[in-house]
Amino acid sequence: MKSEDALSQKKTNGVKLNRRTFIKLSALTGAAIGASQVLGPSSTRSAVPVPPSASAPGEEKWIATSCINCPARCAIRVRAVDGKAVKIIGNPLSLVSEGKICPRAHVGLQVLYDQGRVNFPLKRTNPQKGKGADPRWQPLSWEEALQEIGNRLQAIRQKDEPHKLLLFSGLNTKSSEEVIDRFAKAYGTPNLVSGEGYEAETQKAGSWMADGHSGDVAYDLDSTNYIVAFGADILESSRPLARLLRKWGKMRREKPNRTKIVVINPRYSLTAAKSDRWVPINPGTDAALAMAFANVIITENLFDKAFVGHWTAGFDVYKKLALDEYSPEAVSKITGVAADDIREIAREFAGTKPAIAIGGKEAVDWTNGSYSAYAIHCLNALVGSIDIPGGVIYQEGVKFQEMPRIAEDETAKKGKKQPALDLRGTDKFPLAAVVTNQIPEALLTGAPYPVAMAIGFNSNFNMLAPGANRWDEALKKIPFYVHISPFISEMALNADILLPSTTYLEEWAYDFSPPGAGFAELKLKQPVVLPRGKTRPIPDLIFEMAKKTGGTVAGSFAGIGDNAEGFVKLRTASLLPWKEFVETGVWRGGDYEYRKYERLFRTPSKKFEFYSGNMKALSAAKKTTAEGDLSFLPHYKAEKFLGEAGTYPLVLLPYQPLMVMENGSQNYPWAQEIFLPMAGRGWNVFAEMNSETANKLNLKNGTPVWVESPYRKIKATVKFSEGIHPQVVAMASGQGHYSYGKWQTGIGVNPNEIIGVDYDSLDGQSVFFNTRVKVYKA
Amino acid sequence: MALTYTKMEGNSRGFYALTTTLAVFAFIGFICFMITYIEGHQVLGSSNAIPWGMPIIIAIYLIGLSAGLHILAFLIHILGRKEWKSVIRMAVFMAIILIFGAMVSIALDLGRPEKFWRLFMLFYMNNMGSMFAINAIFYSCYFASASIYLMALLANKEKLSKIMGMVAFCWAMATHGGTGAIFGLISTRATFFSGLKPFEFILAALTSSLALLVVVIVLIVKITGRQIKDDLVISLGRFVAAFLCGLILLIWIGNLTHGYMADREALTFLLAGPFSFLFWGFQVLLGEVIPLVILFHPKTGKTVNGVVAASILIVVGVFFERLNLIIPGLAYPQHYFPGEIEGIYGAVGSFPITPVEFFLSLGIFALLALIYILGLKNLELLPVGENVE
Amino acid sequence: MPRWGMVIDLDKCVGCQACTVACKAENNVPHGSPREQTERRDFFWNKVIAASSGKYPSVRTELIPMPCMHCDQAPCVTVCPAQATYRREDGIIVQDFRRCIGCKYCIVACPYGARNFNVKEQETTEYQRQDLLPDRKSWGPWPFPTRTHGVVEKCTFCFHRIDQGVKEGKKIGTDVVPACVEVCPSGARVFGDLDDAKSNVSRLLSSRASIRLREEMGTKPKVYYLPK
Repeated sequence: MKSEDALSQKKTNGVKLNRRTFIKLSALTGAAIGASQVLGPSSTRSAVPVPPSASAPGEEKWIATSCINCPARCAIRVRAVDGKAVKIIGNPLSLVSEGKICPRAHVGLQVLYDQGRVNFPLKRTNPQKGKGADPRWQPLSWEEALQEIGNRLQAIRQKDEPHKLLLFSGLNTKSSEEVIDRFAKAYGTPNLVSGEGYEAETQKAGSWMADGHSGDVAYDLDSTNYIVAFGADILESSRPLARLLRKWGKMRREKPNRTKIVVINPRYSLTAAKSDRWVPINPGTDAALAMAFANVIITENLFDKAFVGHWTAGFDVYKKLALDEYSPEAVSKITGVAADDIREIAREFAGTKPAIAIGGKEAVDWTNGSYSAYAIHCLNALVGSIDIPGGVIYQEGVKFQEMPRIAEDETAKKGKKQPALDLRGTDKFPLAAVVTNQIPEALLTGAPYPVAMAIGFNSNFNMLAPGANRWDEALKKIPFYVHISPFISEMALNADILLPSTTYLEEWAYDFSPPGAGFAELKLKQPVVLPRGKTRPIPDLIFEMAKKTGGTVAGSFAGIGDNAEGFVKLRTASLLPWKEFVETGVWRGGDYEYRKYERLFRTPSKKFEFYSGNMKALSAAKKTTAEGDLSFLPHYKAEKFLGEAGTYPLVLLPYQPLMVMENGSQNYPWAQEIFLPMAGRGWNVFAEMNSETANKLNLKNGTPVWVESPYRKIKATVKFSEGIHPQVVAMASGQGHYSYGKWQTGIGVNPNEIIGVDYDSLDGQSVFFNTRVKVYKA
Repeated sequence: MALTYTKMEGNSRGFYALTTTLAVFAFIGFICFMITYIEGHQVLGSSNAIPWGMPIIIAIYLIGLSAGLHILAFLIHILGRKEWKSVIRMAVFMAIILIFGAMVSIALDLGRPEKFWRLFMLFYMNNMGSMFAINAIFYSCYFASASIYLMALLANKEKLSKIMGMVAFCWAMATHGGTGAIFGLISTRATFFSGLKPFEFILAALTSSLALLVVVIVLIVKITGRQIKDDLVISLGRFVAAFLCGLILLIWIGNLTHGYMADREALTFLLAGPFSFLFWGFQVLLGEVIPLVILFHPKTGKTVNGVVAASILIVVGVFFERLNLIIPGLAYPQHYFPGEIEGIYGAVGSFPITPVEFFLSLGIFALLALIYILGLKNLELLPVGENVE
Repeated sequence: MPRWGMVIDLDKCVGCQACTVACKAENNVPHGSPREQTERRDFFWNKVIAASSGKYPSVRTELIPMPCMHCDQAPCVTVCPAQATYRREDGIIVQDFRRCIGCKYCIVACPYGARNFNVKEQETTEYQRQDLLPDRKSWGPWPFPTRTHGVVEKCTFCFHRIDQGVKEGKKIGTDVVPACVEVCPSGARVFGDLDDAKSNVSRLLSSRASIRLREEMGTKPKVYYLPK
């Protein structure tokens, strides 16, 4: 080995280590094979054994915690060696996903050790804000930072204007969410804005109209035998993803009947590829298809007469509507789906029990999306799949230890009576719990009132929003913006003070999957490693801010734990012993009870309503102009698209691939390099078009093109695909970052930038899919 | 005047200028090798799609150039054609340099060149089923026998020369046949897999080495102001023409066979894909058709200039033949699963020409030329008397 | 002597690529950069390919996870001159980095593209795993933290886990499995002894039709696929 020695002296230290590596490798191979070391046939000759050197591994622990790289918040176990996290796998005690996790959980190691993380508070020294402006951060001590924030918070309250504090909440742990919420209420601001307005609020509105449940609709899946997915990317971005991945395997091959899955979507998604049947549909027409299914099921008498008869109301009105206006032939013209296909699928759906119709973003994030969601949800009732094994179920909440009541002073009470900036609950968005995308409007116009200060908790709306650039402009209007996250996201670029929070692997919290598996399940988050740098968990920061604000705000935060760990301990005290929780990481409530029809429906009739009593009552209270009875029924309304069809012949369809880390950053090579499995490519985003359409436009596969909407244009590489509706251009979202991070900056483009701003007519859900575009050579 | 041999004078300004230039390029090549060694193969054009690049192409090219020269030994000692004796020493020395260059090339392409000795641990640590290991036997024996042959020639030992000449010839054929077998026995790559490959390589060797010999002889004669009988060169030209015909025949039989196979996409890619100009333009037109025309034309085929022109084209053309075997052969994506494979796994491999690789390749050639010229100066290789002045 | 093999159920597989990521985490396989991916210099020990066919609207894309096939008649073993890659008695095709000279003959010979050439030292900071301690001995049984450049590497069926499991008397295939099998959320991947008629893999193979990739190559791969 002389020549190797001689050369290794010339090389860097790295090579020296490698010699030891060779020896250690041989040690292992030798030791392992040594027993059967025979000079056998040449194909099985073993390595020359070298005596193994004695070395003990460092201290190793497996710690139960949970993930939050997406809203599913799965339970995980993390292996920590000598204070470093080295491997993440699932926690088998969590039955929501049967101990399985999706690939993003594994990327958590890169989230924890992201080079782009901030280690101490930063202060902005460049007064200029907006895209392209360098904040010129200066380091700040925690005392200084929190003192300044505290002063400002006090000042706003002293002026009796607590409503002028705007709080943004991105993807945070449930315990953090509760602390943020408590702060908002104690402080007296109605303006707590989450990112839910970019998700699927229409789903909630749709189910609320039917059964009064908003946000807790779940799917039982273990014994489901048929699934019709309307635009639902079950294997890519639906929630809770890891559960869906596990149950898919179970439904397909771990039970006697193989579940049949039909996907209805303008694009051939990964879910469609793994399903049994892909039905391309004209964008925005899912409600019509759902009603056509209802038409067939009712016409052919295939509905569940027992359930419909006993536990539903308004069936006659619904039946009349479905039969009169949604014949398969009529709907075929609207949706582009053949009438025979409609009949076939409807018959299979009704004839296979239990069956579920699942709606997803691509079907319900439209201006009429609430009614689309309603129509899809009604199909489940029609075939009796409500609250049965294998059907639609309702997530049970966790009964936490009660907290002492919030102390409210007059200032707080007055503040909370002010109208919310996002116009939620007003006539414009009567069903809205939050209208995230309305905030830039409010900030830019200063109406109904200007904002004095804002705090963002792990939010990155600048990437998520349709018309994303509005946020860059709008944030300039905030006199003082505090951003709290582990890294500098696009939204954080506009911050006056950046407070670095811990990642989920370094903090105490609790979480549950919304929705989960029906039964209540709570997951613990505990530090796997010590917090890096000087980062601090969000609840701790809020406790500090509350203390510094003083008065009733501080009072509301007394006696509830004083920090994240204390808070979590306090809240979970009613559930199980603390030591057990720390050990296992998972608490599970009682078994799910099915068929609770007597107390399940939160509607005037106490039944599942095909004719929404909830909506009617709300309309009467709000005196909103309604379309008569139609606004209380599931129905299809032709969508209004943004842009003239003549100039902009194609419709843009943004979609979220699985590897999008929903924490606001994409600076993770493991996620980036396998970003688009259907395209066999990473590190990029394509303008995916139907090959025939593309050929007609004289485009060449793999070349740059402009995708231009009435608002903006972006450049991407075109990819010819057979799996796209001829009038649709699909683009993956999650790329196009422009903040720091060498693995994300300048990679791909963000389709959200060219989407127009539009809302569902009832609940403020942002519409993502009705922007028309044109594509041409770049 | 009887045939004797002499050293080259080698003291003109031109000589020093040439040797210095070659030395400089060889040194640059060495620097490039160090860069490759320290930075890794990312500075070369190879990738997981096309793992073998310029160094391997050059290696098999050089082996071919080397092995074919020993046909002269066959002509002299078995067929008794004494007129070739005048060039035999130059040829054998060139053959030794070239095989040395080939082995250096292979060592340079290794991911861990310092472990090259592992290739020679025959029967002890090697998997003798591997064509690389078998070739190690061939190359070593060939190198050894050719060296002994040259030493026998230099010492004017007739009988030993005769024996070693034949031995070297046999090992030369085995060597380049073995090189062909490296490719021919790989069933994974559609354009590689063929029983004809060893023979195709042998014919390529014979063609290219004799062509190279023509060029070198004429160059040396012109530069050192000597004279050589035209007949010598023209006879070489005829041999080259004959071997070229054989080479073309084997290549086309091989292509035809691959074309008749049901799985012929890799071949179609070579013949009609985006890089088919490398095949039709460089290999076929430049390296086969034009030389054939020149050599068989009654006028040009009988002039030294014609033969030299054809030989230059053949030397270049056979290089591209090697390149066309490896690069398009490896670039074509493998069909892991029925259907069109998306993205990078289904894409044709790319082979960029990088500066490091370019100068590394140039450096190898420069080094060999340098050693050859130094050898001409220090060993008695150049013929004097009989057919030459 | 067991003969380790794997069965991948394409009907259960959800194309999530958790296997790809977990393998990288487990075996410290370096990630690539955008440029390296275009140049085909990045590597995956387990890759997921997409194979498409058909025309709109009758299109079909299969997502196929591909680890090393650990062929019983491995072409890579035949061509390796230095015996750096060889077949262990239990069927695992092992790569001995110490012997590998980086000639890349095995990459040329492999019909499945399972092998990758390691171009550079991972000491290059940008690729260094921040989550791993510099001192290797604390990493547990897998002694392979840093990569040596200039050699070829590939999936090893996590033989470090199997060997440790065998030593501790655990049941391979149920208690101890390769990382990709362990993390597959849908349970599509199964690992076990192909020669044991009662193992999970044997039972699966007897219950459904199975295929192996590029069967015509005659490599006798030990990774079986159950089609949808």
